[in-house]
Amino acid sequence: MTRSIRYLFVGLIVGIFGIVCALPPTEAALLDGFMDGVEESLGKKAEEKGERLVIGNFYQAERPDSHAPIGVMQDHTHNKGEFMFTYRYMYMYMDKMRNGTDNLSNNDVLKDFAVTPKNMTTQMHMFSAMYGLNDTVTLMAMLPYLMKDMEHQNRAGANFSTNSSGFGDTKLAALWRLYAFETPSIGSHRFHLNTGVSLPTGDITPTDNTPLGNNSLLPYPMRLGSGTVDLLPGLTYTGVRNDVSWGFQALGTVRIGHNKQGYKEGNRYKVNTWGAYRWADWISTSARLNWQQWYNIKREDGQLQTTVGPAQIPLVPTADPDRQGGQRLDLMGGVNILFPEFMGLENHLNVEAGAPIYQYLDGPQLRQAWSFWVGWQMVM
Amino acid sequence: MNNNNVLWIFLANLSLVMGLGASHAYEVGNVQTGGSIHGRVSFLGSPAEPIHFKVEKNPEVCGQERSLVKVESRDGFLTGAVVVLEGINTGKPFSPKTFTGNLPGEGAFRYLGGGSLGLQVKTKGCNFGPFTGVIAANEAVQFQNQDSVKHVLHSFVSKDTRGKILRTVHNQDLQPRDAIERVFPSDKMEDGVVVRIICNRHDFMQNWLYVVDNPYFAISDQEGRFTIDQIPPGTYTLLVRHPVLGEQRQVVTINAQEDLQMVFQFADE
Repeated sequence: MTRSIRYLFVGLIVGIFGIVCALPPTEAALLDGFMDGVEESLGKKAEEKGERLVIGNFYQAERPDSHAPIGVMQDHTHNKGEFMFTYRYMYMYMDKMRNGTDNLSNNDVLKDFAVTPKNMTTQMHMFSAMYGLNDTVTLMAMLPYLMKDMEHQNRAGANFSTNSSGFGDTKLAALWRLYAFETPSIGSHRFHLNTGVSLPTGDITPTDNTPLGNNSLLPYPMRLGSGTVDLLPGLTYTGVRNDVSWGFQALGTVRIGHNKQGYKEGNRYKVNTWGAYRWADWISTSARLNWQQWYNIKREDGQLQTTVGPAQIPLVPTADPDRQGGQRLDLMGGVNILFPEFMGLENHLNVEAGAPIYQYLDGPQLRQAWSFWVGWQMVM
Repeated sequence: MNNNNVLWIFLANLSLVMGLGASHAYEVGNVQTGGSIHGRVSFLGSPAEPIHFKVEKNPEVCGQERSLVKVESRDGFLTGAVVVLEGINTGKPFSPKTFTGNLPGEGAFRYLGGGSLGLQVKTKGCNFGPFTGVIAANEAVQFQNQDSVKHVLHSFVSKDTRGKILRTVHNQDLQPRDAIERVFPSDKMEDGVVVRIICNRHDFMQNWLYVVDNPYFAISDQEGRFTIDQIPPGTYTLLVRHPVLGEQRQVVTINAQEDLQMVFQFADE
């Protein structure tokens, strides 16, 4: 299954480059000119209803739901010359250990490990910018600043915490408009390809004081980046009809090679689907389902201590590369607010929060309890 | 890359260059004994009521309410029909002309003329200009925004007179008191008959610009009249186009110094 998904994404990447190379030197959606049959059929149906079929670029910043819920990124393309700056803040809380779909007590974990995590908070400040390079490509750059804090308990019942903070991996993306069409009765439908790369700017050797000693190397979940160059392929579809909007996005994170510590994080695949309703010109609410699957670490960090004592007792599950994978389905609810235009700028304030409704972990691992997003988007 | 590949690429490029060479651009030349066409466009039926819009964005500039007249007729004659004479490659220069909008606001289409059409779209009072006009492919069109509010200029091209299928050409912010130039390139305008321009922020701003490649065009006035002069003798196709009423065409033969009288009649569908 893993191999199939890998081939699928590699195929997608090859396909993208193939399409890009075959592009005529024009600024058009990638599939313009390849959809004559579809256009004829849609055009005929539109004409029967006394409507016009419009093919092209329909991005409009003037709706509260012109952007997906704030937890979704790379969800729309921009018009040529348009900038958008976004600041996002995320708070995620993880509590209780879980193996598969079973919750474990601290004592359950401490039977097999010297230390168990108890809870973890992750905060992220994400700064991103989008720019409509032309009518085909929108460029995007994202830089996160992460703050992680994990509480532990050892077999003696002593508690201690570790934390790490700093910039995470920098993501650069190009969003390629594939196709868009619209009629009044069927609404507008837009498709774009997501291509991107994640650069290893996040620290993969964070340290903190632990009972093992000062400046101990922290385990995998406390690290701020992958340490590898990762590919970020994906596909996004969004639609709007009257006061309703919706979307679907599949995104992957495909790791390339091994990092300087000698390991490779597992690939991660995400599927998002959402719907929103515009209650007024300035406010919409949304519901979103986010399915994620991520895989165990390949090889291991040779410098990370994994056992303790002469009996070689496994130290902590977070240091085990084979206890990092999992699957999760989150249900999120959100509100998007569009502020009155100020000096030609469209400002959006978006909030979203939710919790997993299904979580299978290759554990023991900390399960996610809930997460919260808030973001400010400014289109100019 | 092997020799066969190089050969195919060479042949492909050669055919492309030859194909481009085959399309003939308009050239200005002397017209000593040109003829002319005078005509009138009538409309049978009752024109549709104007469409009324309650202005939601920038009413302080655009007004509280706006209306859009798509078929404008007076005493049975049609205003704003675009008359185009096709198939002329050499002839008179483009004449400077200005057409102002017939709606509230002071938008205008200004054609600078000379060796090319030189279209300038002056946006004022949330009005791009008259409901119909003309545009040329492959030359810069200047869009001016003389308003203190932003407009989002969205332009589409269609291969059909009524614009049944429209394809985006540009979707671009037009900042307050700013001007931008945009070319409507031939690869996007291929077989394009009409360009529709709208403002994404103000839905009553809608205009139709028919594609011309020579200066032999006219737009019917408030009495439905039109004139095209200095036409080199020859046989051409005369087209009368309207975004709601469609298209009529007639083959005409112009003799030296002849004044041809034409009448076109459109009706309610």
